[in-house]
This record gives sequence, structure tokens and C-alpha cells, in this order.
Amino acid sequence: MMELLRVENLSVEYDSPDQEPVKAVEDVSFSLDQGEFVGLVGESGSGKSTLGFAVTRLSKPPARISKGRVLFGGKDITTLSQEELRRQRCGGFAMVLQSGMNALNPVRTVRKHFVDIYKAHGNVEKKDYEAHSRQLVEKVGLQDSVLNAYPGELSGGMRQRVSISLALALEPKLMVFDEPTTALDVLVQHEVMGTIRELQKQEGFTAILISHDLGVVLESTQRVLVMHNGRIVEDAPSERILTDPQDDYTKMLLSHYGDPRAEHVSVPGLKPRDEAAASGSVGGTPSQADDEEDMTVTVTGVSKIYPARKRGEDSVTAVNNVTFTLSPGQSLALVGASGSGKSTIAKMLTGVERPTSGNITLGGRRVDQMKRRKDLRSLRSDIQMIFQDPYSALNPLHTVEYTLTRPILNYTDLRGDDARRRMLELLDTVGLTPVEQYAAKLPHQLSGGQRQRVVIARALASNPHVLVADEPVSMLDMTLRAGILALLDDLRVRLNVSMLYITHDLLSARLITDSIMVLNKGTVVERGQTAQVLQHPENDYTIKLLDAIPSLRTQA
Amino acid sequence: MTNSIVSTGMQTSAQGDGNDPQGPQVRTARGQNPVLRALEVIGKGFRTVWEVPKARFGLILLALIVLSTLFAPWLSPYDPKAGDFEASIGPSAQHWLGTTSNGQDVLSQLLWGGRVSVMVAMVSGLLSTCIAVLVGLSWGYIRSFAGEFVGFIVNLFLVIPSLPLMIIIAAYLQNGGMSVIILVIVLTGWAWGSRVLRSQTQSLRSRDFVTAAAFSGDSSWRIIFHEIFPNMLSLIINNFFGAATSGALSEAGLEFLGLGDSTTVSWGTMLYWAQNNNVILTGQWALLLAPGLMVALLAVSMTFINFGVDRLSNPRLREGKA
Repeated sequence: MMELLRVENLSVEYDSPDQEPVKAVEDVSFSLDQGEFVGLVGESGSGKSTLGFAVTRLSKPPARISKGRVLFGGKDITTLSQEELRRQRCGGFAMVLQSGMNALNPVRTVRKHFVDIYKAHGNVEKKDYEAHSRQLVEKVGLQDSVLNAYPGELSGGMRQRVSISLALALEPKLMVFDEPTTALDVLVQHEVMGTIRELQKQEGFTAILISHDLGVVLESTQRVLVMHNGRIVEDAPSERILTDPQDDYTKMLLSHYGDPRAEHVSVPGLKPRDEAAASGSVGGTPSQADDEEDMTVTVTGVSKIYPARKRGEDSVTAVNNVTFTLSPGQSLALVGASGSGKSTIAKMLTGVERPTSGNITLGGRRVDQMKRRKDLRSLRSDIQMIFQDPYSALNPLHTVEYTLTRPILNYTDLRGDDARRRMLELLDTVGLTPVEQYAAKLPHQLSGGQRQRVVIARALASNPHVLVADEPVSMLDMTLRAGILALLDDLRVRLNVSMLYITHDLLSARLITDSIMVLNKGTVVERGQTAQVLQHPENDYTIKLLDAIPSLRTQA
Repeated sequence: MTNSIVSTGMQTSAQGDGNDPQGPQVRTARGQNPVLRALEVIGKGFRTVWEVPKARFGLILLALIVLSTLFAPWLSPYDPKAGDFEASIGPSAQHWLGTTSNGQDVLSQLLWGGRVSVMVAMVSGLLSTCIAVLVGLSWGYIRSFAGEFVGFIVNLFLVIPSLPLMIIIAAYLQNGGMSVIILVIVLTGWAWGSRVLRSQTQSLRSRDFVTAAAFSGDSSWRIIFHEIFPNMLSLIINNFFGAATSGALSEAGLEFLGLGDSTTVSWGTMLYWAQNNNVILTGQWALLLAPGLMVALLAVSMTFINFGVDRLSNPRLREGKA
């Protein structure tokens, strides 16, 4: 087969003022044959996107190609001028971005986006504009009526399809997909990946799929490059990666995958959860709640209807007649695709929003009727929230100490040295040691996993009885997830708090929860023991969710 | 998870749960007190601004103006009010910028007059920024009927043409001196800033850390001033220089129209007297040009500083000259 792309000893550096340049990609060499579909896998910061940008010459300052060559069809593109590069992009290389769905101009229709490209490159004659763009959107599985639509009228998945079809407009020989589905909903992810696979087969372009998710990559590609700390640590056919990984890092990545449908599921760092232990922890707890206030959360027939945004539109039913109880020490998973009403339930439970109908009680208190600040405050000393995005849940200007001390001062009687001791104790609880050092740090000095630990420590500061965890690991790398999940599970048992675990990730639900509720469009469609439901799903929607998980199988 | 374009590579360090992401580079800030940290932040901010050539020009210019007015007693050759020189003479070795029709030295007036003008600019800038911060932050954070009411008032101030309003108020409070001028400028100048700060507050309030602070039991005031306020400091500084610029210009304008106290020496009153005495007809261009130029330079210096402050608030501008 003919070689299309050859990367020789490529290094990319990020310049930063007053500091040594950061090497994001170091001495990378590989080559691609015509028509090959190759995956590029690595965790965040491994340099995979930087490499993707470099081979398409889209790197922007402060990124700089410091060494090496990128030969595209035998021509070194690292030295091309901007204008040569622009011409080269026609019939050359194209890129689809993770945020590609936001890359469309909101005030121009999809048709105008196509016409812009044709005009810039003159590759299509004016009379063929319409037919050509129609053909392209049909290729990605859209109806030609989207040409008239503005980006705002399309869903995220549709917009990503549009940006793929725009990339195809120049008939590229090489397509780089940079996390094309990461920002999409689970079910949509699955469909868009299917389209990409089919397109690649039909059109025969060479493709690089950049992803943090080894599962997605193995499912689609013929060959996988594994990146770690700016270097390619393994380059092997997909099947060999799966059956006979050579590099330790690849092995480690692989070990963090599991099938939630399997009878026994385990990942490193988390002890497998068997039925006996699960039912034991549920049954064992109510007995010790004698002397304390009852902390059972009861949700009865709760609905939330948002009024219509515009006149003439229908009102939106986010949650429809949901009933469940969460007894002390229990862990309940709430799963569903985006828009299924999971987060709305969390908001109602914590008193941020009030239900349209139905009751929510915590012990003897009516959460749904709380209005006064004082009530909400006392509610929040009992129900705390763990946020999804550790990068936005901490104020960038406050030290860890300040962040953790606030709830201690607000909810407990500890002051001065006692409060400080408690703060350090919390850091110790979440495993951030040496505690003194972490207390003085600012969020930007911490990694994502460490930040999430701080967020968890803050939630524990008021000695809550109920934790609501809203997708606490979805923003973290695969290998960090296990640590955070193990911590949550351990804390729940040790501190006897109940946990509502909201997620779309069925594997993590399987790993740390006893019971599960599957939500679809605000309605509970299936519930039961987690292991039971995931092994023997009955509802079509649950089955669809399970099927959308990329399994560790290669494309036959 | 890899996110947006440029930042990916910069995050290389945020790896590995449990190990120090920045290794030895991290300054262990143990026992560091808030004052020191604040100073460090200010120093860093100043450096960022200083690194922008335009802002550096603005800072130097502003420093020169402020210093020359501060040291006016030593720098100025004569008493600015002493009218015992020959009247209406052109620039000469004794009087670099000539004398007024009352026989006062123009250069001395320029140096002394700058004190009032710079002071009015700074004080009115500071006061209107304070009001803008108070109104903008609380208006942006609190969602209730009161917010609608505040919105109504702010919009009212925005749509009223400010120059006629200024003239009317100043004329009504005639002879109140500098404080009236400042009051008038502040009263007509705060609304725009509060509008800008309000929209930024609204975008910050939806961030998770603000919700988290509410979950930590913090009161609204604490959230506004400890969580939101420090995150928009650069915008507030921006607003201050903007307000001070318009303060300097408004002051000169009002005094030029004769609405200030015409016996004090400031750049505005110098312009007023120059115009009254038809200095253009008598060929004394320096009398009109010098104070006008100084007002312009003061405004220019602050506008240029704002180019650098922009970079403070937008890290994307900081990363490199694309």
C-alpha cells in the first residue's frame, strides 16, 4: 500500500514566558498508509491533540514544532507558507474537533458554510454547489433540509455531523478526528462513531482517531498508537493491543476497562462488589440510627415541569412522577442519557429547585417546601453535593485551606485551631497528604484528581448524612476514576452516609452502587439491584444504554 | 479528557493523582499570609500589564503626569496665582509657555492645575467604580424583583444624555467647588460600569464554585465579595481607568463651560480663561494648547494602560502574540 503520511522525529514545544518550554510531543515517528484507520490513545496531557494539530499544521502559538518533519504525500508540510498550506488543505488533510459542533457560525445557515468552502477553494462549480452539499450531508446521515437550518436549530450530534461533512467537502486524503464524540451524549456518541466508521470505509480516506477512550478506538480502528507523556509507547494492530499488549502503560489502560454486564466486574484499586456485601450494607445500617434523627430521603411522586420558554412552545417535563427512598448508608445510582432529568432530581433534592408536584422529605423535614435561608442552610449541612467539573468547582483564587474552612466555620462550632485541625483531618480523609502542604495550595497547582478530592473533602466538612454526587468522575482520566470511586465508596461505608450517584457511566455505577434507577425523559423505566439490572436488563432503553458502551472488541 | 485547542499541551502537568503536578517548581506557600499573597498577585498583575508595550507607554506617561503635579511646588518656577508679570506675553526664556492676560505664569499654572485635574479624575473614577461595583455585583447576583427595579434605575441613567444632565446639575449646585464637580461626574458616570460588571457577575454566578460556596453555607454578601469580586478584579480596574478617563474629560469640559469654580487653577479653568480672553486672537496658542494637550495626554495614558489590563482579564491574550 502507498504511504500517505510520514512523521519523522517530530517534537512540539509550548513556549511559556520566563520558563523552559514545555515539551508536549517528543521525538515521535510513525507513518500511515493510504486508507488506514489509526487510533491515537492517551490520557489528557499526553500530547495526542498537540500531535494531531501538528500533523495538520494547525498548531498555534505558543505551540511550536521544534524538531522533525511531517511528510504528507512525500512533501514536508512543516515548512509550507500559509497560502501554500491553504491550497494544500483542498484534497489534503482536514480535522474534526471535539468542539466541532461549536465551530459553526450561529448566524449563517449550514448551506452558507458549504458555499464558503467552495468559494475559498473553487473546487466545485457554482451550479453544483447545491447538489454537492446535499450529497455531503446525506453521507453523514442527515436530511438535506438541514442545509436551511441555522446551527442553533440542530442538536449537538447533528452539528458534529455537519462539521464532519464540512471537512469532507474538500475531499481530504487524511482526516484527523480529535475526540469527535466526547462532548456528546452517550447514545449519540455511539451513533456518530458508527457514521464515522462507515464513512471511512466508503470514502477510503486515511483517518486518525484521537481519543482518551481506548474502548472507542479499539472498536473502530485497525491500528492503535498509545501515547504517554509526549511519546508513542506502543504502535500495534488493534487486535494485538487487546490480546498481547507490550507496554506497561497500555496494560494499565486496558485494566481499567470492564463490562458492566459481566457477572464479576473489577478494576484495579476497587474491590469487587459482590451481592452479599451489597445487601449486607443496606440491611445493616438502619439499626444504628436509633439515637439519631432519621436521615432517610423520601421522594414521592415528584414532577418538575419547566414553563415554556417562548409563547407557543410546549412546557418541558423534566421529571415525571418519580418515587424513591434513600436510606442511611445506601448507595443509589441514577443513570440516563443527558436530558433524562438526573440533574434536575439532584437540584430538587438539595433545595436548589422546587418540584412542581410531589413531596421530598429528609427525615421529618419537607425539602420541597423550604423557602427560608435558615432552613436551606440546615438542609445543606445534611445534604451535600459533589460537583461534576473539578476545574470549575473550586475558586481559582482561594487556597485549599480557605475553601475547606468555610463550611467548617459555617456549619460546626469549631473555631481557630480546632477548625484548622478539622480542615487538616478532612484532607487526610480524602488522601491528600502531606496535609499541611496541600492546605496551602491553590487549585491550579493541583491535578484534576486532586481537585476532585478537595471538592469531596469540602462536601464532607459539614458532616453530611447524604451525598449527592453529580457525575463526579466524568471529567477525569480513566486511571484517576478508580481512585475517586474507591474513595467515595469507602467514605460512604466508613461515615455511614447515603449516596445518590448520578451518572451516565454504567460501569462506575456497577462498581460502587447497590441499587439503580434508570431514567428516560424524566420517567423511571427500570429499577432494582445494580448487578441484577445491568446483567439482565428488561427495558429497551436500558439495553440501548448498555449497547452504547464500546466493548473491548476489535472490529472483525 | 482533552479539551480545547491551545490549552491541551499546557495541561501536561496536571497529571497523576497523588503526585505533585508541578514538581519542584511549586513554591510551597506554607504559612504564607494573605497580605503577602495579595502583594504577589498584584506584582504579577503589574508585570503582565508592564509587558504590553502600549500599556508600558501609558504607565510611564501617567507616572510622569502624576509626578510632575505632585512635585509642582518644587518644579514650578513661580506662584501660579501671582499676577505680577507682564500680561499676555508669548513663550520666552523666563516664561516658557508665556503668561496669561492677568500676568500669571502659564507653566506654573499647568503644573499646579494638574493637581486638581488628576485628583478629580482619580477620585471620580474611584467613586464611580465603587458604585458600579456595589450596584453591578448585587444586581447581577440577586435575582428578584429588586433586581428589576435596580435595572430600571440603571437604564434610566444610561439613556439620559449625560452632558446636559451634568450641565444642569452643575449649574444648579453652582459654586460648590471641586466636590460638586466630582459629584456630578460620579452621578452621571457609574451606570455604564455597573451594567458591564453585572453581566460578568451573571456569567460567574453560574460557575460551580459559586454554587459550592452556597452549599458551604456562605451568605450572599460573602459569596459576592469573596468568590465573585476577586475573579473580576481586572475588569474592575479596567472600569476604573475608563471612569477616570471620562472623569478627566468631563471635568475639563465642565470647567471649560464655566461651571466649576473659576478661581481655582486647573486645566479646565485654564481653558476657560483662555477661551474667555480670546487667546487665539492674541496669538497666545500655548495658553490653549498646553492644558488641552495635558488633558488629552492624561486620558491617553489611562486608555493605553487599559490595553494591558485587558490582557490581565483575558489569559488567551497573554499566551502569545498570534
